[in-house]
Parts: sequence; structure tokens; C-alpha cells
Amino acid sequence: MNWNNIRLIYLKEIQGAIRDRRTLISMIVIPLIFYPLLFLVIGYFSVLGQKNSEAQPSAISIIGAENATQLVTLLKQDKDIEIISSESEANPEHELMEGSIHLTIQIPDMVEENYAGESKTTPKPIIIEYDSTAQRSQTARKRVLILLEHYREGLIRVRLNKIGLESDFLEPFQEQWLDLAPQEKKVGFLLGSILPHFIIILIFVGAMHSAVDITAGEKERGTMATLLVSQLSRLEIVLGKYFSVMTISAVSMFLGLIGLSIALLVPALLLGETFLAGVHFSTTIFFLFLLTLIPLVGLASSILILIGIFARNNREASTYITPIYMIAIFLAMISLSQGIELAKPLFLIPILNNSFVFKELLIGTIDKTHLFNTVVSNLLLALLALRAATRMFQQENVLFRS
Amino acid sequence: MIRVSHLKKVFFDKKRGKIEAVNGIEFHCRKGQIFGLLGPNGAGKTTTLRILATILQPTAGEVLVNGFDVVKEAHQVRQSIGFLSGETGLYDRFTPRETILFFGRINNLPDEEISSRMKEIFHILGMESFQELRVDKLSTGMKQKLSIARALIHNPRVLIFDEPTVGLDVITARIVLDYIKEFKNQGKCIIFSTHQMREAEKLCDQIAIIHEGKILSTGSLADLQQKFQENDLEEIFFKLVPVKVEDKL
Repeated sequence: MNWNNIRLIYLKEIQGAIRDRRTLISMIVIPLIFYPLLFLVIGYFSVLGQKNSEAQPSAISIIGAENATQLVTLLKQDKDIEIISSESEANPEHELMEGSIHLTIQIPDMVEENYAGESKTTPKPIIIEYDSTAQRSQTARKRVLILLEHYREGLIRVRLNKIGLESDFLEPFQEQWLDLAPQEKKVGFLLGSILPHFIIILIFVGAMHSAVDITAGEKERGTMATLLVSQLSRLEIVLGKYFSVMTISAVSMFLGLIGLSIALLVPALLLGETFLAGVHFSTTIFFLFLLTLIPLVGLASSILILIGIFARNNREASTYITPIYMIAIFLAMISLSQGIELAKPLFLIPILNNSFVFKELLIGTIDKTHLFNTVVSNLLLALLALRAATRMFQQENVLFRS
Repeated sequence: MIRVSHLKKVFFDKKRGKIEAVNGIEFHCRKGQIFGLLGPNGAGKTTTLRILATILQPTAGEVLVNGFDVVKEAHQVRQSIGFLSGETGLYDRFTPRETILFFGRINNLPDEEISSRMKEIFHILGMESFQELRVDKLSTGMKQKLSIARALIHNPRVLIFDEPTVGLDVITARIVLDYIKEFKNQGKCIIFSTHQMREAEKLCDQIAIIHEGKILSTGSLADLQQKFQENDLEEIFFKLVPVKVEDKL
């Protein structure tokens, strides 16, 4: 085996990939331009929509205002609430669903006395109508909920006073909750739920096109035979191609992560959010992240190369890759669910192990057994797949399948 | 330079079972000679040439190219041959200059030698004007010239051409055939497969008519004409290869 020959194939494949518009689009345009733009636009409009709806007053219609004057006074005093009279008092629901009114309150007869405990009959409920699919109706609901709470507290005070009790009667103790998780861990926890999934998708998607193009694609275009009659050994050809796929996969993942960071940071900066302010990972975590990432890139590349060598042409290779990709996505998705603890032997399952180890590392947990199982199982499987690819590349019935 | 003895190649197919693509063929080709394998599609021409080029392994028999065994000394055989097929086998995203540099390097030539040989070959083949254009921008004729240059860069003593004019227009095919004659004059040993009678008549010193994996007759054009008492090679061919009713349909 001559490393210079491997280098020649490697450089040829990398040069070819750089000149391929499709590779450039999937490697650079999508992660660096498309993702941030998508996140930016979606994030911007959703936050803007929320802010807009909070900046505007909520239009509320009250039926039976005379039955609860204190409540109505509270509502009227709130500058974010505008009491409007419904044009069709009998049917304000219509205006609510149309959006001209954001919430309706129907107060039954004789309530205030009932609520204050002056009547023995069970009070009828106050009916509040809103539209959960409309942002402004949601905002109106939040505002009214706060006011209702004040109203309720006021009434309870009245009731307590009547029987000679103080308002702290209902609060035998005070409590204070403190979140000890540092900002770094909080951000890590949040990133840990989306990042592993994202990384695994990027590794596969980035390498997929190139891996198929330089294996099945070469067969299809008839260029493979010219390599086979050269001085290169078959092992050198496979290794050169393999390392190039690994590089492309790693670069697209790296660019994807930059794209994702831009996507998360830019809207946050524009809107003055400080979500990522506390992000700082130690060198050890960063190193361990890389240590688990490289075997994963190696495994994905070897599987893609193996499929590409086996397939007759690009189309066939894509057909074989689709279920493999779906399995990878499925395994990565398991880590999206909160609260699942993986048993130690399950850390031998590729992709699943990575997604959980990434999650652990992001919140600063270093579990040596998990790391060892992950790295060793992925490396072994990558080597097995690479060996199978090399063997297959030596079989003429695979190389010249028709 | 090329000696083929009792060569057999058997493929296995799930549906069709055992297929004897090459069934005990024998021939030899000397330096400065063009040897033509003439036969219809599926006769075993490509399989034979792929075995000569070390891409496929023979099931039985012996093949020596430039004195080296294709199985035991594949590496030395590859050093001695230039291989060209109907599929140009070029990388679309590279220029002719880059293509030749790459193939020179993977054939272990030092860069200085590649440069000087490239200059010489590009001049002979008239390729200077398009050497910096990408392959996907080249015409079929330009591509075929580049394929020839690629096969010649390491100055091989034996040239294996598998239907090199398939799919080419008349003018480009003529250019390719002229170069093949020129290589013969340079003393190279050339083995060439075709299913076109005219090409074989004009070019080959020795013709082997091959059908269903067997060589039915070998000799120079004059030998074959005398043997079959027939001037036209096509008539000789059909005397040897009976046309079945289902073939006519």
C-alpha cells in the first residue's frame, strides 16, 4: 500500500467534489445561507408577532357588566384592555372568531354577592370565551387571567375579614425555589435535545451525494475501468475515496454547525435575546466531542462507500441509501425525547450511542463507559464496513454488474 | 508481445446460470502488429480484452502481455498497457491537462516526464487549443483524442482498444483509426476489437473472427480470403457465423 497513491485519489475526489455544483449547494449554500435565513425568518416573524400582539390592547366584550362592577373596574383600569361593546350582544362569538373582539366575558346574574359569600347558593360560573389559534386572543386570555386572580384574592380577603381572619391565613408558609443549574448547563440541556439529531443528519446528507458519485457514479460513467488498469491497487483506490468522503462529510457537518450557530445567534442578537450568552464548553468536552464525532463520520462514510460500490448506478445507490438514512434518523430521534436513560449495553448501537453521548457532553457529563462503548463500537463497525467495501471492490461480479 | 492460450472465462448469473463468455481461445500478437478481434455483440471481445487489461481474472488458460502473466504479474502488465474503450472514461469536471497529469501520476510517472510527454502527445493529437477547457465542454472527437492521450501517457508498449470507434461520427472514427495506424508504425503491439468489417479489413494485420466465446478462424485478410475463397470479409464472416431465424427477426 502506497500512501502517495491514496493521496492522489483523495485529491482527485476532493477536487471533483469542489467543482461539482451539487456538492457545493448541499455543503455550503444550504447550511451557511439557507438554514440561517430560514431560522431567521421564522424566528423573526414569530417573535415579532408575539411582541406586536403584546403591544396592542386586547378588545374584550363583557355581557352582564352590571353583575360584577368590581371586576369590570379592574378590567377598565388595565391600560392593555379595551372594553368594547359588541355590535351583536346576543352573539359576540361571531365577532370573536372574526377577530374584531379577542375575548368575551359573560357574567351571570347576582354574582358579586355570591362571590363575596353573601348568598348560600352555589355561584354560576363566569364564562370566558377565546380563540386558542389566534395570537391576540391568547394574549387577552393571559391578561384576563392575571386580573381574575387579583379579583379572586380581593374576594377571598373580604370573606376572611368577615369571619375575622387575616389574609395570611391561607399562606401558612413561604417558599422560594432556586435553580442551581448554571447557564452553561441550561443552554447545554436545550442544545442537547436538538444538536445530536442535527449533527447526524448533517453527516449523512453532506457525504451522501459525493459517496455515491465517486463509486456507483464512476461505474455508471465508465471511468472505473481506467482506474483499475492503472498502477493503483484496489485497496489504495477504496481508501483514497473513503478518506475523501470522510473529509466532505466532516466539512459539511462543520459548515452545518456554523450555519446553525448563525441561525440561533442572529435572531437572538437582533431581538436582544441572551439565550446563548452563557455558552462556553471546556477544552476536555470539546476534545471528547471530537473523539466521538470522528468514528461516527468514519462509520457513515464507510457505509455510504460500501453501498456505492455495491450499487450498479447512482439511482440504485440512492434507493439503497434511503432506508439506511431513515434508520439513522430514527436512532437519532430517540435522543430527542426527554427523560430516556440508555442502558450501558445500548451504547454499543451506533448513532443511538452518539446522540446520547453528545447530549451528555453538552450538559457537561463525562461517563467513561459510555464514551468507550461509543467510540469502540463505531470504530469497529466502520472498519468492518470498510473491509467489506474493499473486498467488494475486488469482486469482478460486483464491479461489472449489469 | 501478447500470447493467449486456452483462455476461458465463465460467469455465473442467477437467472441464466453458467455463461461461458470466453471458451478456450488462443492467439498471439507481435510488436508492430494490429490484431483485430472481429465479432458481434456478446461474442466475448470485451471480456477477452478486460482479461488482457487485468480488470477481469481468467477462469482457465494463460495470458502473457509483454512477457508478464496477467494473474501473477498484474502490476507489470498494467505498466505495459494502454487501455481504451468506447466509453471514453473521462472525468467531466477536469481539464485535459489535469486528466493527463492525474493519469500520469497514478501510473507512477514523475511530473517532469508527464509534462514533456503531455506536450508531445497534445502536439501530435492537436489538443493544445482545448487543453484548458473542462471535459464536459469538449466535443466527442476532442474527448476521444483525450482518451487516446490518457492511454498513451505512460508510453505503453501494448495498446488495448475495445471498440474505440463505437458511437463516434465518421470523421472522429477516421481520426482514431489513423492514430492506431500511427502507433503501429511506432512499433507498438495493438489489439483492437470491432464489429465493423471495414475497420478490420483496413487496419488489421491479423483478424480473429470470434463468436459465442470461440475463435472461429484467424489469419491475415489475405489468408482468410484464400481459405474461404471469398474477397469480402463480411461474406467470410457470415460463412462462419450462421444467422439464425430469430436473429433475423
